[in-house]
Amino acid sequence: METEVLKHVEKVTSWLPRLSHDKRDTLLKFGVLAIAAVLSFATRLFSVLRFESVIHEFDPYFNYRTTRYLTENGFYQFHNWFDDRAWYPLGRIIGGTIYPGLMVTSAAFYHVMNYFNMTIDIRDVCVFLAPLFSSFTTIVTYHLAKELRDTASGLVAAALISVVPGYISRSVAGSYDNEGIAIFCMLLTYLMWIKAVKTGSIYYGTLCALAYFYMVSSWGGYVFLINLIPLHVLCLMITGRFSHKIYVAYSTVYCLGTVLSMQISFVGFQPVHTSEHMAALGVFGLCQIHSFVDYVRSKLSAEAFQKLFKTVVIAVAGVTLAIGTVLTVTGKVSPWTGRFYSLLDPSYAKNNIPIIASVSEHQPTAWSSFYFDLQMLVFMFPVGLYFCFKELTDANIFIIMYGVTSIYFAGVMVRLMLVLAPVMCILSGIGISATLQNFCRNMVQCSKEQKSTKKATDQSYPYKFEVSFSVVAILGLSLGLYGFHCVWVTAEAYSSPSIVLSARSGDGGRIIFDDFREAYYWLRQNTPEDAKVMSWWDYGYQITAMANRTILVDNNTWNNTHISRVGQAMSSTEDKAYEIMRELDVNYVLVIFGGLTGYSSDDINKFLWMVRIGGSTDRGSHIKENDYYTPQGEFRVDKQGSPVLLNCMMYKMCYYKFGQVYTEAGKPSGYDRVRNVEIGNKDFELDVLEEAYTTEHWLVRIYKVKDYENRGI
Amino acid sequence: MTAIAFLLVVLGSLAIASGQINPSLVNEKVERTIDLQSHLVKISSTITVKNTGSSAADSYHVALDPLFKGKLGFIGAKTKTEKGGDDEKNRLEVEQISVPSHKDYQFYRVKFSPALAAGASKTFILTSVYGHALTPHPAQISQKEKQLVIFDGNAYFFSPYKTTTQQTTLSLPSGKVESHTKVNPTNKKDKEIVYGEYSNVDAFKQEAIRAHYENNSPFLAVSSILRHVEVSHWGNIAIEETIDIYHHGAKLKGPFSRYDYQRAQDGYSSVKSFKTMLPAAARDVYYRDEIGNISTSNLLELEDQVELELRPRFPLFGGWKSHYTIGYNIPSYEYLYNKGNQYVLRMRLVDHIYDDQWVEQAMMYIILPEGASNIELSTPYPVQRSADQLHYTYLDTTGKPKLVLNVRDTVEQHIQELEVRYTFQRYALVRKPMILVAAFYLLFTFVIIVVRLDFTIQKDVAKESRMRVQSVLEEVQSLQDRRTALYQSYEDEINRYKQNKDQKIFLQKRKTIDDGYKDLDTKIVTLMSHVKAESVDDADRIQEINRTDQEIRNSLQGSIGLAEKLVAGKVNKQAYMDQETAAAAKRKEWIGKIDGILATF
Repeated sequence: METEVLKHVEKVTSWLPRLSHDKRDTLLKFGVLAIAAVLSFATRLFSVLRFESVIHEFDPYFNYRTTRYLTENGFYQFHNWFDDRAWYPLGRIIGGTIYPGLMVTSAAFYHVMNYFNMTIDIRDVCVFLAPLFSSFTTIVTYHLAKELRDTASGLVAAALISVVPGYISRSVAGSYDNEGIAIFCMLLTYLMWIKAVKTGSIYYGTLCALAYFYMVSSWGGYVFLINLIPLHVLCLMITGRFSHKIYVAYSTVYCLGTVLSMQISFVGFQPVHTSEHMAALGVFGLCQIHSFVDYVRSKLSAEAFQKLFKTVVIAVAGVTLAIGTVLTVTGKVSPWTGRFYSLLDPSYAKNNIPIIASVSEHQPTAWSSFYFDLQMLVFMFPVGLYFCFKELTDANIFIIMYGVTSIYFAGVMVRLMLVLAPVMCILSGIGISATLQNFCRNMVQCSKEQKSTKKATDQSYPYKFEVSFSVVAILGLSLGLYGFHCVWVTAEAYSSPSIVLSARSGDGGRIIFDDFREAYYWLRQNTPEDAKVMSWWDYGYQITAMANRTILVDNNTWNNTHISRVGQAMSSTEDKAYEIMRELDVNYVLVIFGGLTGYSSDDINKFLWMVRIGGSTDRGSHIKENDYYTPQGEFRVDKQGSPVLLNCMMYKMCYYKFGQVYTEAGKPSGYDRVRNVEIGNKDFELDVLEEAYTTEHWLVRIYKVKDYENRGI
Repeated sequence: MTAIAFLLVVLGSLAIASGQINPSLVNEKVERTIDLQSHLVKISSTITVKNTGSSAADSYHVALDPLFKGKLGFIGAKTKTEKGGDDEKNRLEVEQISVPSHKDYQFYRVKFSPALAAGASKTFILTSVYGHALTPHPAQISQKEKQLVIFDGNAYFFSPYKTTTQQTTLSLPSGKVESHTKVNPTNKKDKEIVYGEYSNVDAFKQEAIRAHYENNSPFLAVSSILRHVEVSHWGNIAIEETIDIYHHGAKLKGPFSRYDYQRAQDGYSSVKSFKTMLPAAARDVYYRDEIGNISTSNLLELEDQVELELRPRFPLFGGWKSHYTIGYNIPSYEYLYNKGNQYVLRMRLVDHIYDDQWVEQAMMYIILPEGASNIELSTPYPVQRSADQLHYTYLDTTGKPKLVLNVRDTVEQHIQELEVRYTFQRYALVRKPMILVAAFYLLFTFVIIVVRLDFTIQKDVAKESRMRVQSVLEEVQSLQDRRTALYQSYEDEINRYKQNKDQKIFLQKRKTIDDGYKDLDTKIVTLMSHVKAESVDDADRIQEINRTDQEIRNSLQGSIGLAEKLVAGKVNKQAYMDQETAAAAKRKEWIGKIDGILATF
């Protein structure tokens, strides 16, 4: 099949200097791969070209800050780093609570470059790391798909993944997040795993374990991986495909991989404690038993074996259940954590843990976003599955399982679209290349026959040539559309740094809202070095990284009560809030307000989450969500709004002096352009706070907490 | 070692000479203007001095008013001429000296050249600029208040000499004056307060005056600037300035209200933006800070300079500070001159940041290309030079020499040119490209070695055989290509023969082609026998090529015969054409077949 395709390719490439078959093959492969790799890098640079080389979003700022710390202070300092800038007054042990893979990778790049006196700034390393790793991903995808089917599929898959929006969304230049390198690690691990399964060699098993180690060091999503591989093994056992090759591969990967993963201090003893890792351990045990049973079976008669087998199975099941229960009850095996439940049951988090539900990327995926992020892959994915089922091999079973499980997880959580995108590309790659190969062959055959005999001889179905031609044409067209769609999505949806906002002005020019940095820089320059800033947790990472000031809560939402306390301060009245702020030693309060510019993801729109989270702990039990609604159950900030809302801290901080501002022609003063209403409470003064700074477009407002008043005045 | 020597030289030049006050000089007339319009105090005194002694005086001593101790930014003098103008030749040399008889005062010596003859008099202008000499009062104001400052000065011209007549004018930004000291006669006109005229004032006489007035000019000061100048001999000089700037006026008291700031346009003393003048050739200008690009700046290219309007991220109120970096490139041909291997870099030591600038601490790094040696520095005014360092960037191996200069309290008058002379071997320019070439060469060599050599422990017979066959096939391919070219030569010769009908030459030519042909034939056959041992299949393909080749050969022989017949007239043109066309088509088909087989190699 391959040679035939290449024969056609020869015709196309006849202008090339005449090369031997092998060389031409290599040249083409390298050509396609190189173009795909370059494309995957280049297409992620929109934001750098439009704005600047800057870190995006929230989490990347934390990663950037830690990376800078690592490069400046070395690994041991980093490992033992206690960060007193965050979670005041608790602090955070950074070294033990992060996956260091990303930072170590960038620091390594940085040091190698600087060793050769290529003085590159660490910020630029961070900005361009994700695009670089997506280039690597492209190459790994090629190898993976090649292992699964053939070179042609590999090339198609590589080309597809280079621009797939589902992956680009997390890996544009500046999006310096764990996922940027984790997808590469994940695919590398899969590649090594499949090689190990195919060859049954300890060598590939070890490489797989190393790749797994890199994966563990870089992303919490490794849990998916350590469940998928055992699932694959289990599936092979059930289908009767278990062999010595798989035994060797899995035993090596599991033992080495687990020991290695425990070296990451954030993971620690989890692989032997928590339920998420138990599947891997169980399958490892099962492997041993399976092998042992095989051995026993080869030594015993069939009848004796059956009897023995039944007895042992019942006994073992009973004992396992008993031990498992005891361990869970005594807390040795940690109970199922919230995030895990929310994977299985999408409504779990929403009902039980507001802090998880409040993150937009933890929401279930909308159907439209599948098409938006994957486009034609959605349709070609089943085709790929079909071709995999048609020629079922050990490796194909793996990719089928990967595809099916990840499509489920992607449906549960938006951010897991990222895990789905690669397998979509691989399966679609297989589907597209197999379809094209079949129909191209038909087309060529038909045209040959027509030439030689003028009359079709072998027609398995009518209009064979026409049908083949139209299939190929449609596929070609949709591939072209896929390219356009991906570039469009990247340019429009995924390339905004979110720290700088831009809008079109009336005369078509571009207005830049740089208010976030304006405020952060003001904090950095004009507040005391040890000032404590209170803000909603979303902005925590950015404040520590850009303003270099101590904050109370940040995006690492590890302490629910602390966040809840901040939520209480925001949703209480001024004097109640003052107590909390004094208790927490707050100097400045920062809020995001979009009412003047129409920036919709501001703190008023997030406010209900603050109320919910604030009310979710004991100390905040007096805060009830319903108090913030109108009797009709609406959340509104105009005159009809609930008086509790109109007098709470957050409302006052956002709308202080806003009542006098005219925002839109023909509207009364104090017209909120996000909620599209005139605000309800206009004239009020702040007693315990004073306005310290408000940015040019009022996006960020900073208040200073006044000191206690002198006695006797 | 050399660095230490340099340091000693520099320190030596900074050491202060001592001198004596010439008692025979008298200030006949002093007209002093104290400019208080900006945040700096700029004093310009027109002094007519007379030598009442019997010998010529070569210098004039200026005593620094003790009120301004530690606040002096610049002092300079020039001879007053009718035409005015700031000619280099009117400039008088000024240097700091110490006077043993008045240890408590700080002195500067203005050198007269030629010396002032006995009995003669001379008029010159003494200019001095002081920073932080105005005190905001009240020290804290709210956003909507205007800024009031206090100037403390001396009603008399502070001089080691006796002054016959003198007058002092305070020049204010507006007529709004809260209070001012009166030392009769004192007159307040619209924007001016005039003290004097006073006559026969003794040496070192002081009479404190104070003016409390409104001053909303930008009270900006640069607390430190780090200026990187990196010279490249590829035609570029990169300049980067990292600046810490702050507002040293009355501190902001209470809240900053954006509403009032936008609505009422108050915040009179705050600084929204300021202008920096860059050299006319500046390009690729950037303006940023630690957290990225600052998107609020405007660039205006004027004829003789580039005007950069910088807006800090936030308006600067009293006590607020900011920190930013600007950088740009300028072409080196405007600043770098050479004669052979001797280079001179002549450019500004410090540059313009904003009008009426006050720079407390300036540090300059001048980075010369890698390999520059014999570095000599000359500056227009004394500058503290630290030991040279090495700077590594862009694949440097030995490092670029980095000059480290330091200067305190500079103002606009300090924007003057420095000169760095050094030796640079031209061939050093290609060193880095050569390093790159070598690195890539090594990389490719390494790849070639890895790919071409077999590092496996086990011997893979099948693979080796396949590789051997492959190399033979490639050889066959190239030989066949040459053979195909020969078919064309045959046809060309036939055509030529048909035209010139020269049997002899035709035979000769055919002979040469035949020889080449036979040579190729034998080679291919030998190669085929090699292949046979490894792969019968491939040998068959070569066999097939040879067979087809034989057909082409036969066909060509036929064509030759036919052509001879045509020339001899044994066959008519039409018949020849028919046969020949058929034969040519056939040959083309065969060649296509051969190509098809070759393509599968």
